[in-house]
Amino acid sequence: MAKPAVILVGADKGGVGKTTVARALLDYFLAHNVTTRAFDTEAPKGTLKRFHPDVTEVVDITATADQMKIFDTLSSDIAQVTVIDIRAGLFSPTLRALRDIGFLDAAKKDQITFAVFHILGPSLASLEEIAETAGYLGDAAYFLVKNFINNTTFFEWDQATHDAYFKKIKGAQEITIPKLNEMACEQVELASVPYVSFVANKGSDGQPASYSFVLRGYVRHWLGNVWAEFDRIRLVELVAAEPQRRSARQA
Amino acid sequence: MSRPTPLFIVTSSRPRVGKTLLARVLVEFYCAQDRPVCAFDVNPDEFTLLDYLPAHTAAASIRDTRGEMALFDQLVLGDQVPKVVDLGYAQFERFFAVMQEINFLAEARRRDVVPMVLFVADADERARLAYAMLQRRFAGLALVAVFNLAVPQIARHVASFPPSPRGGPPLALPALTPVLRSVIERRSFSFAAYASKAADPTAELFEWTRKAFLAFRDLEVRLLLGELRSDLKHSA
Repeated sequence: MAKPAVILVGADKGGVGKTTVARALLDYFLAHNVTTRAFDTEAPKGTLKRFHPDVTEVVDITATADQMKIFDTLSSDIAQVTVIDIRAGLFSPTLRALRDIGFLDAAKKDQITFAVFHILGPSLASLEEIAETAGYLGDAAYFLVKNFINNTTFFEWDQATHDAYFKKIKGAQEITIPKLNEMACEQVELASVPYVSFVANKGSDGQPASYSFVLRGYVRHWLGNVWAEFDRIRLVELVAAEPQRRSARQA
Repeated sequence: MSRPTPLFIVTSSRPRVGKTLLARVLVEFYCAQDRPVCAFDVNPDEFTLLDYLPAHTAAASIRDTRGEMALFDQLVLGDQVPKVVDLGYAQFERFFAVMQEINFLAEARRRDVVPMVLFVADADERARLAYAMLQRRFAGLALVAVFNLAVPQIARHVASFPPSPRGGPPLALPALTPVLRSVIERRSFSFAAYASKAADPTAELFEWTRKAFLAFRDLEVRLLLGELRSDLKHSA
């Protein structure tokens, strides 16, 4: 049986598209028949919950009761993968809390699969977060995500700066989220449905909707490219890893 | 069994090859049979088809997403009303880039819309490259080369536009004499009205119109048979 998997999606800076990535991850796992549950740390009213209400719970990750709700139930059969969308500013504190409760040790002992999707913004401050995050990561699979969904240009990075920061974490992998047509992006927001539902022309109640075919096409194309990135990093294999297999790979 | 919806995209990557004339005669082919037809004029700043056939034509633009939605959301409607797109050379690349990105052909197939591209050939190398690009990028698309014999030296370039597996043999449009060209260029001239009233079947314009209408009938049959063949292949 696969180990429980926890995926943390975060950044210390706001507005870099954390929830977008969390939504794409939930859609990806759904399409690959991997059961998921999600926690939205934007208490009291979470954005992720608006799009994936059936599998998402809003929590205050700084509260012990809510930490218990997430981490004490990992071994239960509720879901194979737990996705946690970390609110801006709480990324480093959450990693610190995970270290303090022994979660990072459990990942090290191969009892849990732990992956971090660190969403990067265009500023140098965003790169500096990498150094800060690195101290907590231990055995986690670490993914640095360049999010271009809003046509961000990573203008402050030159190659030397980029390399200096990216090489700080051994084994870190880069993921690129491409740009999505602005109007398509806006319409999915207004529809408040998962990307896959929008593509399938379904409303939040599962009934047929009347979204533009053109916009659905743009979202389908974009989602296909995002999923190709997830395929490239072998995400399904990562979360399906059994304790022995992972140990063998490490050996 | 519902009838598929034909969609003709009349285009060229080069200007002044008779593309709008072809789109216009195609629309009038349906008008002559009292069949409904819907046309879209995708020529920025110069809506000639709209000028000729305002009752059947809508101006369309794909300069922004709103325009793309307004056009493609109509083109993918499986309402059994034949549609004709007069696609200007300036919009050629953008149109097919969008078509590919939104996976138009898959959705069209799902809704029983059968597209056919009528590519008006030109002696310019860029036309050959554009035709080859369509063949490469849209393997399942019915692509038909059209040789307008009024285009200088076009007969020498037939081999540059090989037939596509789903499109079949090319279509040839005979050249009209300058006098007749000036007649059909009048805004008030209608091929459908002329075909229904012409008394002399040996007249050059009558013959030209008859040939064009027959060719369109052949294209429509080719399209619908192509679909039938594809359905039979899938059900076998």
